[in-house]
Amino acid sequence: MIAKRLTWAIALAVFILTSALAVRHAENAGMLSDEAGRRTMQVLIGLMLAGYANLMPKQLGRSRGSAIAEARVQAALRVGGWSLTLAGLTFAGLWAFAPLAFADTASVAVVAAAMLVTAGYALRAFTPCRPAGGAAANR
Amino acid sequence: MNKVFKALADPTRRRVLELLRQRPMTAGELSEHFAVSKPTMSAHFAVLREADLIDAHKQGTTITYRLKLSVLEEALLGFSQAFGIGAASPARDAPQPEKETP
Repeated sequence: MIAKRLTWAIALAVFILTSALAVRHAENAGMLSDEAGRRTMQVLIGLMLAGYANLMPKQLGRSRGSAIAEARVQAALRVGGWSLTLAGLTFAGLWAFAPLAFADTASVAVVAAAMLVTAGYALRAFTPCRPAGGAAANR
Repeated sequence: MNKVFKALADPTRRRVLELLRQRPMTAGELSEHFAVSKPTMSAHFAVLREADLIDAHKQGTTITYRLKLSVLEEALLGFSQAFGIGAASPARDAPQPEKETP
């Protein structure tokens, strides 16, 4: 299982590096403009984010003793997976079609918003799980 | 991907996934929601496990199932539910449990 994941991760890294080299080569040969090359790489990054986020809800980890904790983990992974997948697709779409200046700012904003949603939901879901009284309870 | 489509084509299995969306459940808790035999439900669970849509954790004699849908698979589930794919023949499409030979 771990070997399979590692293989996929290495294959993806090789693909990204090869793509970057291919785009740079195409730019140097005059086949691609600087803008087109930049857009191509950013679209690939957005699709990669969407691809990884798509699998996020499947990363359940070990089974937890509490059914409530398990349900909260499941919900947090789903919310994070959906928000980051949509952010990745939006990121790719902005770099594919939007004016460069707009794509530059909006793409970062979209991904940042998705990360805030992911982190915020996880915090909200797990805050009630903290022991009551904090350190005072251990005295 | 074929296994995923096969798993999502049956309305009973889709209902199982909907129930697991609320919280993890044991095989017994899930079976209570359906008017089919336990061997038939076990066969449905096996199809879902083979498609990697649910995760099974065994503690003693109890098996607890957890939902394990990717974003794309969840979207496909919603699409299947919206268009009622396979709604006409849930009983016919139920996988037959293997018969034990003495």
